[in-house]
Amino acid sequence: MSEGARLRLAFVGKGGSGKSFVVGTLARLLARRGEPVLVLDSDPMPGLVRTLGMSLEESGLPGELVEEDPDEPRSWRLAAGADGVEVVEQHARRGPDDVRLVQLGKLRGPASDLGLSHRSYHALVDDLTRRDALPWHVIGDLPGGTRQAFLRWGRFATRYLVVAEPTGAGVLTARRLGRVTDTPGAVQVVANKVRGPDDTELIARQVGTPVVGSVPWDDDVAAAARAGTAPVDRTPVGTAVDAVGSLAERLLEDL
Amino acid sequence: MRIAVVGKGGAGKTTVAATLARTLARGGRSVIALDGDTNANLGISLGLGVDTTDALVSLREQLDTGETEHARDLHELLLRFGAEAPDGVRLGVPLRIENAQPGCPCCGISVEQLLGSVPTGDHLVIADLEAGIGTMTRLQAGSLEAVLVVTEPTATSIEVGARAAALAADKGVPQVLIVANRIGEPGDLDRVRAGLGAVEGVRHDVVEVPDDPAIRAADREGVAPLDHAPDSPGVRALIGLADRVAGVPA
Repeated sequence: MSEGARLRLAFVGKGGSGKSFVVGTLARLLARRGEPVLVLDSDPMPGLVRTLGMSLEESGLPGELVEEDPDEPRSWRLAAGADGVEVVEQHARRGPDDVRLVQLGKLRGPASDLGLSHRSYHALVDDLTRRDALPWHVIGDLPGGTRQAFLRWGRFATRYLVVAEPTGAGVLTARRLGRVTDTPGAVQVVANKVRGPDDTELIARQVGTPVVGSVPWDDDVAAAARAGTAPVDRTPVGTAVDAVGSLAERLLEDL
Repeated sequence: MRIAVVGKGGAGKTTVAATLARTLARGGRSVIALDGDTNANLGISLGLGVDTTDALVSLREQLDTGETEHARDLHELLLRFGAEAPDGVRLGVPLRIENAQPGCPCCGISVEQLLGSVPTGDHLVIADLEAGIGTMTRLQAGSLEAVLVVTEPTATSIEVGARAAALAADKGVPQVLIVANRIGEPGDLDRVRAGLGAVEGVRHDVVEVPDDPAIRAADREGVAPLDHAPDSPGVRALIGLADRVAGVPA
């Protein structure tokens, strides 16, 4: 890995496939190695905060960070003079292992509350997308499913990672996601909740996209999900977390 | 009668909706199953297979590109953008398209609007809604006779389920049934009850569906659990849901 090269990953997948587990665990493991990490959470479902080991408090970006773009009405940008990197450093939440987290608001209340927070989030992502060099690895969790509008929230990324379970619906979703992304060559699959070697093979064969990691079904992860705690904080961490660690190694090597 | 199935992604909404649809159809009802998820997989759980299910999505994409005509009403939508599933269930896939025509019954109205405004006659409509609570927030009061909130015994699933149940109660849905899915560990059912039982206005009806490797096997194969393992404990519990729901006047 060349010095300064950063990961820019957007995770997609069917709802329930385990995106939040993979994203949160990957972020924490990279951060534990001393890597600077920014997590962008645009999934309206709660889940990532728990796998990161952070509290549930709300933290959308302040609405005042943005202004309407004079050249493009109803399009928002960071307020004049604002710098995306500084916005992150000033407004991102900090979690265990010093992971930085920026969240699109969760749909816990009326949808109208989300408006300002959404604008700030989009403006920030636009700003970061334009930068060739970033001071952190950026890992994004996108909404589950295949809606193209949501996939645009991953435009900061150089690679899309599809989290796929070994089920008919999971594989079908993964195939659909491979079709709708703008840069099909940049799509790779992470097989999750794998119960045997046949499962990874099934996913690889039926999705037809390179599999970059395989994460086993792990009762420890299921237990953490029940409790709402971070699998990465359990002692010992378990086989699934170890597998995400291997994925981290592989992703850094590929940089 | 109109029933919506809601819950966090992965909780088992689609499996619940499909198995309930086929069971009610076997009981003599005329059932329409609407796939309200933009990631449309209801056909798989109904037993239509992965390829047929994918083909229905492709058909909607053809609507988007103008290669196929719009439907004029719900009946035509079900004929053209749907399929006949086992047990005579009629599947409809009103999948949202990019180039929607405002007001068009086949592409210009949302699933929640469809439920609220389209006459369904003597049919029983089961709608598998988009994961999460977005659709519930937009639902008009009076659109549904029952909501099934499907939740796994995980913290996140329960959080979403509680929100969905509260919204359904706020909208005045007559019956809100909690489906506690994949119950496998001691404490699982209690955790679901604790998380959703506190929701005001909900009648605290909780149906337990045990964690079932046979359902997992069916999911892996991309076939209907009802066909793959009809006597398995999880499937039997899902079949039993029909009695809980059918009691509400149509």
